[in-house]
Amino acid sequence: MKNSLQTDKKLNTITLIGPPNSGKTTLFNFLSGQNARTVNYPGSTVEYATTPLKTKYGIDAELVDSPGIISLMPGSPDEEVTINALFDHPRYGQPELVIVTADAGQLTRHLIITSQLIEAGFDIVLVLTMPDLLAKKGYRILSNELAIKMGCEVVIVDGRNGDGIDYLVETVKNKFERLQPDSGKKILNREQVSRKDQDGLLADYKRVESIVAGTIVSLEKIPDKRNLDKANKQLTVLDHSGGLNKIDASTINIDKYMLHPVFGILAFFIIMTGIFTSVFWLAIPFMDAIDGFFSALAGLAVETLGATWYGDFVADGMISGTGSVLVFLPQIAILFFILGLLEDSGYLARGAMLVDKPLSRIGLNGRSFVPMLSGFACAIPAMMAARTISNRRERLLTIFILPLMSCSARLPVYALLLAFLVPADKVWLGGIALAGIYIFGIFGSVIISAIANKFNNKLFGENDDSSFILELPSYRIPKLSVVLNNTWTSSYSYIKKAGPIILVFSIALWFLSYFPNPNPQIDTAGKSAEEVEEAIQIERLETSYLSDLGTLIQPAMTPIGMDWRVGVSLISAFAAREVFVSSLALIFKVTGEEDEIQDQLLGEMRRAEVGNTGQKLFTPATILGLIVFFVFALQCLTTVAVSRKETGGWRIPILQLILFTFIAYGATFLTVNGLRAIGIS
Amino acid sequence: MRTAAEISNGEKAVIMGIDSTHPSSRRIIELGFTPGQEIELVTRSLFNDPLAFSIRGALIAIRKKEAASIQVI
Repeated sequence: MKNSLQTDKKLNTITLIGPPNSGKTTLFNFLSGQNARTVNYPGSTVEYATTPLKTKYGIDAELVDSPGIISLMPGSPDEEVTINALFDHPRYGQPELVIVTADAGQLTRHLIITSQLIEAGFDIVLVLTMPDLLAKKGYRILSNELAIKMGCEVVIVDGRNGDGIDYLVETVKNKFERLQPDSGKKILNREQVSRKDQDGLLADYKRVESIVAGTIVSLEKIPDKRNLDKANKQLTVLDHSGGLNKIDASTINIDKYMLHPVFGILAFFIIMTGIFTSVFWLAIPFMDAIDGFFSALAGLAVETLGATWYGDFVADGMISGTGSVLVFLPQIAILFFILGLLEDSGYLARGAMLVDKPLSRIGLNGRSFVPMLSGFACAIPAMMAARTISNRRERLLTIFILPLMSCSARLPVYALLLAFLVPADKVWLGGIALAGIYIFGIFGSVIISAIANKFNNKLFGENDDSSFILELPSYRIPKLSVVLNNTWTSSYSYIKKAGPIILVFSIALWFLSYFPNPNPQIDTAGKSAEEVEEAIQIERLETSYLSDLGTLIQPAMTPIGMDWRVGVSLISAFAAREVFVSSLALIFKVTGEEDEIQDQLLGEMRRAEVGNTGQKLFTPATILGLIVFFVFALQCLTTVAVSRKETGGWRIPILQLILFTFIAYGATFLTVNGLRAIGIS
Repeated sequence: MRTAAEISNGEKAVIMGIDSTHPSSRRIIELGFTPGQEIELVTRSLFNDPLAFSIRGALIAIRKKEAASIQVI
């Protein structure tokens, strides 16, 4: 009979640990089965992947990946979560086995974490990766010697072709067979390892150095199989002046240009421009396809269900709502893909190094670079990426300004507003104007960050020492499979996080614009069917809850030259900025088909007047004002929620919400009235 | 004695000690900057800061302020 306590934890757990750039992800991909999924550590946004091992290996165990760490002493919030989970995972508890990866070419540095794990009492298998790079330097590792001296199993795995994986699987199998089923938890010496001081670390290095010195041999000295015993005694211990500690020459050569004061900057700007151009241009066909698909689906829903309230609900509320979430997926996926390529190639670390000095002037850190770059896709993954910033003040300031990065949700808004301003035959002008908006946004965020930094003691409370320590990995050709895999998991987690909120808001917005008067009585005399339909829609909206809400905010809209309809759309945009466009379309009763929506909406916008005054609602002044509003305003409740989670309190998110909205309103007021004062209506 | 912040581009030096009162000293040691190791200043970023050192076969970027905690000869 099975004891329920024993079946409580049905699977063996293998945790994968390793320093950054030690080949951990490649190994994970070799071992992982079909349904790898990304999950958050409970109570945090640090992500890890988990998967059952490939079935062909015949090991019934769950493989848990983890972010790269170089020691068991945490240096940043994400490292802390990783290390806590290693000792006692919220879901899997203590792992039965830890697989540690180490780059064979950087053995002493990478063995520190291994020696700490052994000291803590974990059962480990050490996997040495990238033996080819070590061979290129003219050396090889005597893995048996290393295993004896370190006191753990050692397997060499070549990440290029998977050589050695089979042996690794055998080793793991043997380990599990020897595992006592009822042995329970092992006692781990966490305190002893994590309290280590500088001298303790130096002692670790000394020990690892002496081990490595006796286990790495020059390739010419590889003993002939026949007289192995004799040869082993003749091996000369490696002297460190050799090529072992040399950095790959091509990396040094590339860096001569990439970190050059002139060419480096040039390369930096070319790469950044390249990223943004491709995010916009490559995404267009995909976005059009998604947009077209959901518009067609909505049309189909109305046809099938008829012009009833539930037909409208399915079409306008649910299907269009889902579409408005998915339409940004191409841009986000493309940005993650390019970021992945840059990261895997080794450039991202150089970018961070290049901008460290300028960013430190405004209270940020070179490590803010990647979060800020991600912020141009979406502030949500960007705030999570800020976890790698070890200094708390810099991390909070980075999170603080991230909503000012022009995220992709603003694009459709800018696209609509610019289409209004720019003549249809001069599309290129729109491109230039869009670039102008981005540059304006970047300048705005630099100024706000610099000001916030001046007040940082009041705002962020912390004033500890700032540091920038970053490993610059060797340049290499990015591995497409790894990059695609990461793109998929990042995009998926974006949909999972932002999707439900946007959907719920779109549905709520639909509800508010449809009720309490879903079937208004209309005088149908002398009207065509189309005119009746239009009159019904106008009446329904004007008697809706949304219209009541609009009356409330009208006083705030008048000073900036707009009316309640824009106000309502601005409020709806707090669900997600892109909802502004669908909200305007809803309010201006544009229910056209497929790609005509924007043209119809533009037509309606050109006709719209403020109240019955005869004054046009949308003019160059108010459109520019709206653009300025969107540059600064924090209109994204998901961002507010994530900001609360990441900063550990409401102070910063509320400050962001109030301050950025206030700045946006003020800047819009100045723009609209300033333009009118100089004669631009 | 000089610190790693004072060596010039392409110059090699041997680490003599790490200032353990520096707030980042533990991380600096963890990354492999230990006494007796040879380092080389491979390149500098814009405005001469941060500096990229070669240590134990890796390229590590640290700020001048951190490099100043590494004593070299």
